[in-house]
Amino acid sequence: MRLLWGLVLLAGCCGPLAAHEMKAALSKVLLNSRTGNIEVMHRFYVHDAEHGVKQLFDKNADLLNSEQTQQLFNQYVSEHFNMTLLSGEQLLLTLIGGQLDGRFYWVYQEVAIPAELAGLRLQHNSLQALWPAQVNTVNVEGRGGVKTLSFDSKTDWQQVSF
Amino acid sequence: MPAIFPRILLLSLLTALSFSAVVAADGAIRQTKGDFEDKFRQLDEVLPTPNIYRNAAGEPGQQYWQQQVNYKMDVVLDEEKRHLSTKQQISYRNNSPYSLKYLWLHLDQNIFKNDSMAEMSTDFGGVGRRGPATSVSDGEITARLSLEELRRQQFMADNELGFQISNVKNSSGKALPVTVVGTLMRIDLDKPLKPGQQVDFSLDFAFNIVEEDAVSARAGYEHFPDDAREGGNDIFLLAQWFPRLVAYTDYEAWTNKEFLGRGEFTLEFGDYDVKLTVPEDHIVSSTGVLENSSKVLTRQQLSRLEQAKTAKRPVFIVTEQEALENEKEGSNGSKTWHFKAQNVRDFAWASSRKFIWDAKGYQQGGTEQPFVMAMSFYPKEGGELWQKYSTEAVVHTMEVYSRFSFDYPYPVAQSVNGPVGGMEYPMITFNGPRTKLQDDGSRTYSQAEKRFLIGVVIHEIGHIYFPMVVNSDERQWTWMDEGLNSFLDGVAGREWDPTIPWGVEPRDIVDYMKSDIQVPIMTQSDSVLRLGPNAYTKPAAALNILREVILGRELFDFAFKEYATRWKFKRPTPADFFRTMEEASGVDLDWFWRGWFYSTDHVDIALGKVFQLRLDTKNPDIDFQRQRQQELDKPVSLFVERNKTENKVLWVDQNPDVRDFYDDNDRFTVTNKERNAYNKFVHELEPWERKAFERAVAEDKNYYVLQFSNQGGLVMPILLQLNFADGSSEQQYIPAEIWRRSPKAVNKLIVTAKDKVLQEVIVDPKWETADVDIENNFYPRRIVPSRIEAYKSEKSKAKVSRDIMQDIKTELKDPAKKSETDNKGDN
Repeated sequence: MRLLWGLVLLAGCCGPLAAHEMKAALSKVLLNSRTGNIEVMHRFYVHDAEHGVKQLFDKNADLLNSEQTQQLFNQYVSEHFNMTLLSGEQLLLTLIGGQLDGRFYWVYQEVAIPAELAGLRLQHNSLQALWPAQVNTVNVEGRGGVKTLSFDSKTDWQQVSF
Repeated sequence: MPAIFPRILLLSLLTALSFSAVVAADGAIRQTKGDFEDKFRQLDEVLPTPNIYRNAAGEPGQQYWQQQVNYKMDVVLDEEKRHLSTKQQISYRNNSPYSLKYLWLHLDQNIFKNDSMAEMSTDFGGVGRRGPATSVSDGEITARLSLEELRRQQFMADNELGFQISNVKNSSGKALPVTVVGTLMRIDLDKPLKPGQQVDFSLDFAFNIVEEDAVSARAGYEHFPDDAREGGNDIFLLAQWFPRLVAYTDYEAWTNKEFLGRGEFTLEFGDYDVKLTVPEDHIVSSTGVLENSSKVLTRQQLSRLEQAKTAKRPVFIVTEQEALENEKEGSNGSKTWHFKAQNVRDFAWASSRKFIWDAKGYQQGGTEQPFVMAMSFYPKEGGELWQKYSTEAVVHTMEVYSRFSFDYPYPVAQSVNGPVGGMEYPMITFNGPRTKLQDDGSRTYSQAEKRFLIGVVIHEIGHIYFPMVVNSDERQWTWMDEGLNSFLDGVAGREWDPTIPWGVEPRDIVDYMKSDIQVPIMTQSDSVLRLGPNAYTKPAAALNILREVILGRELFDFAFKEYATRWKFKRPTPADFFRTMEEASGVDLDWFWRGWFYSTDHVDIALGKVFQLRLDTKNPDIDFQRQRQQELDKPVSLFVERNKTENKVLWVDQNPDVRDFYDDNDRFTVTNKERNAYNKFVHELEPWERKAFERAVAEDKNYYVLQFSNQGGLVMPILLQLNFADGSSEQQYIPAEIWRRSPKAVNKLIVTAKDKVLQEVIVDPKWETADVDIENNFYPRRIVPSRIEAYKSEKSKAKVSRDIMQDIKTELKDPAKKSETDNKGDN
């Protein structure tokens, strides 16, 4: 089933290769003691995401103008970012929304910080089915120093320990 | 000591990936005794030793040299077969002090061969290759291939790609032996080419042009199957299309590094004489000046060109209507366009019957190139977006860049729309953004696409300055052209319209800089992990900070212009840039280059504490009273307070008849013993001491000690905003040099007038230094909400991305009518 879903995503035509597509997303996983939540903030370059949605959904998809496309993209990102405890227990993130801000498009998710948290296992493969060059970097912040995980199209789950 | 470990790991990563010289430098920075790090150590071990070719000032040395290569080519484009064939003559002049037994040429088209190093070294599912996606199995699922990858593989299997080279001969017709090594070819000369000598040779080459959309190259053809003409039309973009001499340099000799697709080029300057034979109805845009315009252009086109020279807005040489007519037909004949270009390091061109062509003269002034023709070539798909903004953006770029460097040195500057997102060559650039065809037949574009077009045209035209004229080595140091150019395109962009969010804001790079997977800017292009932030954004942000925060505009602009003019039509290396910026500004910047370009440190300056101090007057009648007051200001003991609320009656209150001296005189009571000591102290002061002391006592200023710590490793100036109780505020600038003997923590004394009581201190209030942690920049601490917190409290106000051009056509609906129909629908 998952394989089929993957192939569906991969279909569609590739647009012009743009020097200004950065093919890079940066996510912040913030353990926010003030709100008691693990806050996940994904930052995409508008030009990456804008061309991405046309390939992911349909060529008329419009991240900038269509709220529906934005919601689809938010949903897409939330399905391509996964987080579990070190034990493998899934942390179910709530999708908060998406937001355009200058050159960036943001997608927000959150989940309450579990009582016992020794570390996190993460997976983030947004847009990688479209572009092998897509690198999703995740900074885990708020507990000790910043810990970075880099997900390219061949990396699967990775983990950080606190 | 957990904090120590990440630093050591980072530094060992740095040494492993950078030059071996850094190993020595690293040893000198981190001492073997103690933990002092010399963040201000000069770049002695890191930069190459100055010599007669490149001097210590960062200038071309007294015996600077570079080779000269002239090309003459007769090219035939076979549109039907998408095949290019050329007779090429090359003159190579050896200006180096060394004899050359052989010459190396780039054969970049060979990257498309199935057995190329780029192809064979592709990490399946890995990063870094330009092109479609592959991904590996995660254990449960079999490996995946995208349809694009299948298309790419099929294209490469179906078409014979790479150069076919034949007939390599010297000027007397004798065959020269050649050895092809991947994307390189060695030609062995009859006899060594001595210094100052020239050798002429010729060869024939041909190749099948790749479909850009299929293989993701920097050039190729794009097919438009839906055009009215039977079989559709193509746009041809030709770049990296002919065997080009590898640069032979004083710092690396032959720069013959295999082309892996990522790093671009470094080439020799020379003169070009190129004849392009294309279908008769094609319009050609090319590096160089058209020599036979009267033969290939109509009388009307020639007169429009003349008119464009002084026009306020671009004039159509080929109108949209004419282009539309053109693309419906086709022709069997051919035409030869003859171009010549002087002193260029490469040659690219584009050809199609789809092109609309507009032009506008730019009266630049000066003596070198007083007039430049700015031109754009685009299919109908470019639409109004291109008609309005492409050529205007070309002119704007020249205006701004010339101010920062030198007059645009070529007679034409062109922007061409095709399948390539953005790529630059001398006098010509390829730019991708287009309009969208709506169902009603009109073409619209979003505001983001408009920004993209203006931004990409500025960026690519900017590349004609860096690196097409200031000829840095893109294969090795991508940041030297991309970083400098991203910095300048930000300047030009802000002068176009500052409300557009251009890049290079320090805040945009903080999340990258605090991440712990990165390599220094000074890393060879093919090995950079994340090219975007590493080669474009981080160096651009660094230069922006250098200009706005550290040097100031006047010093920076002077030094930058000096760098540009020193290396115009020459070949600079990073050391030449670093040395020139330092030498011309008069400011030691080794710490800045070291931190930003040679390390992966980030900026995080924290304001830990602020202490208030008050000058003792030494006068016991004043100081003792102050001390008494301080004591009184302390909170009362909870113990005592609770006793009071429980109505405990004190022994002293119950027995008022038992009293002594100490009941009326506390420990702050002044006696003549203290007064005598004070008088003696004042009496024994030297006159100048007394004067200074008395004045300080009279002024009674506020003394504050600010405690800073450097948590990111990168030393930077400390920008302070001091907010006072009276509502006023003041900015202070502490130079980075404050960290020189204590790179981890420093204190700063701030003295204010008596009535200026400090209430709040903010470090870097305008986010100018790329400080990654804002929360520790406030004293007292201020809560900085996360993006999610902010988002929840206020939904986005971003409206710039709406395609208002399309939305405005929305019909106004009567909600009453709608609900009626809805109701009917329900029934």
